[in-house]
Amino acid sequence: MSTHSTVYIAGLGIISAIGNNVAEHLDAFKNERAGMAGITIIDTIHKGKLPVAEVKLSNEQLISLTGLTEHNSRTALLSLAAAREAVADAAIPGLDELRVGLVSANTVGGMDRSEDFFVEFIADNSKGKLKNVYDHECGSITEIVADKLGITDFITTISTACSSSANAIFYGARLIKNDIADVVIAGGADSLTKFTLNGFNTLMILDEGFCKPFDENRKGLNLGEGAGYIVLVSDKVAETLSTPPYCTLSGYNNSNDAFHQTASSPDGTGSYMAMQGALKMSGLKPSDINYINLHGTGTPNNDSAEGTAVKRVFDPHYPPMSSTKSFTGHTLGASGGIEAVFSALAIRHKIIYPNLRFQTRMNELPFAPVTRYLTGKPVKHVMSNSFGFGGNCTSLIFSEV
Amino acid sequence: MITNRYITVSCKIATGVVHKDMKSVFANPQTSLPDFLLSVYQYFAFSYPKFYKMDNLSKLGWLASEVLLKDAGLKFDPAQVAVVLANANSSLDNDLKYVKTIAEGASPSVFVYTLPNIVIGEICIRNNFKGEHAFFIQDKFDENFIFQQVNYLLDQQLASACICGWVDVLGDNYKASLFLVEDKQADNAVVFSTENMAKIFNSIN
Repeated sequence: MSTHSTVYIAGLGIISAIGNNVAEHLDAFKNERAGMAGITIIDTIHKGKLPVAEVKLSNEQLISLTGLTEHNSRTALLSLAAAREAVADAAIPGLDELRVGLVSANTVGGMDRSEDFFVEFIADNSKGKLKNVYDHECGSITEIVADKLGITDFITTISTACSSSANAIFYGARLIKNDIADVVIAGGADSLTKFTLNGFNTLMILDEGFCKPFDENRKGLNLGEGAGYIVLVSDKVAETLSTPPYCTLSGYNNSNDAFHQTASSPDGTGSYMAMQGALKMSGLKPSDINYINLHGTGTPNNDSAEGTAVKRVFDPHYPPMSSTKSFTGHTLGASGGIEAVFSALAIRHKIIYPNLRFQTRMNELPFAPVTRYLTGKPVKHVMSNSFGFGGNCTSLIFSEV
Repeated sequence: MITNRYITVSCKIATGVVHKDMKSVFANPQTSLPDFLLSVYQYFAFSYPKFYKMDNLSKLGWLASEVLLKDAGLKFDPAQVAVVLANANSSLDNDLKYVKTIAEGASPSVFVYTLPNIVIGEICIRNNFKGEHAFFIQDKFDENFIFQQVNYLLDQQLASACICGWVDVLGDNYKASLFLVEDKQADNAVVFSTENMAKIFNSIN
């Protein structure tokens, strides 16, 4: 079996509260335009109370954009919109002749439609449209998207909470490195649901205002929704591209905190091991990293644990860093994919994203995030962190070609 | 199937009695489940403050695993120890408690136990186990199914040892029956087979 040492990123696709494609995201960052607002689309008792970062398209608009049907989950609609943009962006010559995989992550599956079903069903067990529960499983979302994109060679779904799509990305890279696939569309999607909104509300980690990641006075996260995919290709495929690839995936690591169901260990053991492991694989030193896209949810626990781990890895030379969740909210299973797209764009366009609403440095940390949109400085290596419930911690490193 | 696999130790907790290798090692019948679980913890002089935060399912499974591993002298790399458990009532015992808290403000500390596989997490955190793990929900203890799952993990060399069995709680009804499966012989070991699992699971004393 032959192996490929380098995995390139050839295409990007994204949809979130700040835009429906890559160009709209770049514009939102440049203009420091955040996506969170009062609830307008999702039907919930928290309307008017909790802010969320909704994709600004209704299900009807997403259906006409994607060509899916009205019983498909919003998760599938978002997933297809972004995955299709990524495939078009990569513009791989002779794609039909290559072994193509889809590794897609999500955490809610078709829960939004199941919630519609449940209301009627609970009132009368003979009622409720079964079509609405058909795509309940996380894997169904991937299958719908693979079907629409004509992908049949390799399809799988990863669901490991908030690190889901970061794990999907390095799983895709491993498929290419081991010569199982030539091209892998990897990332993830999640839509807002009552299930997640109520669950996070129960954990008392939602901010009733707009989130303030890495701020001393942070009060919690804002939930978001969206999808982000990158197209990974082997060195052989990269040589055939008409435009140069965005970057390479030079390092990755998944480590577990083994501490608590929903909280990180105070010293960020899992995050520390993930960052160290990714650096080791890439052969880079901490001082080589030009930008960290933090997990930075805005909860007291995450930012404190992640900050402590960043300090252990990078002290005393801290690269610029920020949490783009201050724009997109926390998109859960989509966040690793969305932030991988941001990492690749940071390298391509030499930009560093601002951490919005930051005011006060955390007492226990000797560093603060970047607060202004920066451009023009070389961005050669980007670290992207995604840390999930269950202690599931993943760091990815993207490098200039 | 020809294997050299053994149940090197077993632990069963049911009806107010703790059995190790089918011998009673502690009994405190006619007590409520929470009181009984606390009495087991105290009798064996375990010291693990997190025990007090756990739901009944995790307490039961955790206690059974502690008794199981107490003198087992497990020499394997913790990363190579797998855990395969099953039960009939998922986390329903705690789910019902959680629903009751919603009226006066849903409790985060109760909410985090509303999944059955959390008991596996508690056992793994305690022992630094990082091997494969799975939790299945089935009507009743299915020794054939567990046998197949454990052999798969060991045959494929995905694990060097496996803790497997049953941990179930709903109200006052509860039962835990755990087996440590290894490739080596031991003093009280019996061959790892469906018959031996069923015999231990169903034994009265």
